[in-house]
Amino acid sequence: MALSFKVKAISRKRLIKNISLSFIFLFSVILILFSKSDYFFVNKFKSISNTYLHPITSFIVSPVKVASNLQTQFYEFRNLKIENKILKEEIMRLKKWQALAIHNSSENRVLKKLLNATNNDLSLVKTASILSRNDFLYSKMVIINAGLKDGIITEMAVINHRGLVGRTIDPSINNSKVLLLTDPNSSISVKTISNENHSILRGADDGIHLVSAFNKSEKMPKVGDLVVTSGSAQVFPADILVGKIVKVIKNNFYVLPFVDFKKIDYVQIVETK
Amino acid sequence: MLSKLLSSQIIIYHCILFFSFSLSVNYFVNLEIINYFAYVCFHLTLIYLFFYFFHFALIFLTFLYGIFFDIFLVDNISPHLITFLIFSVLFYFARKYLFNLSSIKISYIIIILSLLMFFSEALIANLLFNYPINYENFIWIFITFIIIFYPTLLLFSKIDKL
Repeated sequence: MALSFKVKAISRKRLIKNISLSFIFLFSVILILFSKSDYFFVNKFKSISNTYLHPITSFIVSPVKVASNLQTQFYEFRNLKIENKILKEEIMRLKKWQALAIHNSSENRVLKKLLNATNNDLSLVKTASILSRNDFLYSKMVIINAGLKDGIITEMAVINHRGLVGRTIDPSINNSKVLLLTDPNSSISVKTISNENHSILRGADDGIHLVSAFNKSEKMPKVGDLVVTSGSAQVFPADILVGKIVKVIKNNFYVLPFVDFKKIDYVQIVETK
Repeated sequence: MLSKLLSSQIIIYHCILFFSFSLSVNYFVNLEIINYFAYVCFHLTLIYLFFYFFHFALIFLTFLYGIFFDIFLVDNISPHLITFLIFSVLFYFARKYLFNLSSIKISYIIIILSLLMFFSEALIANLLFNYPINYENFIWIFITFIIIFYPTLLLFSKIDKL
């Protein structure tokens, strides 16, 4: 009697284990399929993990964050004198450019008035700071402290003072992810300033450059050409600075972004007026 | 059973696991090496737990870690989840054969399994989500692995003696 009870208990335990194992596998397959098809459930799951798990992991690693910041400050302090000299020179250079820009801006305003042209200026949705970075190993993403409550939705352009940073994805209530330009799965429609050569750029394999994935015209742009957003894909507003063409190999050209992705602390989420 | 599940060593291992997970998903631009250390340490700890402290609940935990690793590092669920689940189920069915091996052989198996895990994660990310296999990252992971493998196992054996 006791032996039969023991056998029954063991077989029941094994049955429960097998059922739970099957359930885990089934749930994994569903998640993988939903992840590929970008289903609402997976997005909800992502936003929940961003909202609840991310603050816990950030709190746990806060001593390392402090150490990392101290190291940065130490290096900055060591290079203070040289940096000060460089900045003084830059101020002189920028003052000349400022005078020219003010002149051009007033001239532009007058010409626009004469042509009765519509204004395509950007409107600022929110300025946000970087909460943490997830650009280790695979995707190139950062998490910012602005979310749905600040009017952030998916596919909004993110810029900083140097140019285009990326676009928003998976916004939760308080924060959202920004897919950086350098991510291999990020694509932007751009044009060159010199000859309006339209093409699509994506993140290169090295994680630093952007590489052309499609070029509209057969003629390749030249090294040194500046690249701006074309605004044709309706995701990014037109004429935001992206980068400079640094090399042309066969049918592809490589762009070095103006934004230093290792030194982004604050970003601005913008939309077309 | 509950006491076995919550013994002091297991709690320490799970703390190491969660701490290395937290470090892996928060990128430090100026201390990138810490991310590599944490990433390798997580895989080593997980395999060590599978070898010496296997419990069915560990499969469920691996499932959760797989999902969260994928959400934070890849933004798509698959590479870590598939790899962790396949390896955990392999352990589940093969553990009775693995127990009979000597500690040296187990160390070799841990090395091979860890490297296989890193490779399969990168391969799945490449096949499913177009993330290129970055050889520079692989070299860094490999170097980190060589550096921390022996000290980690030494630390784990000390924890076991607690």
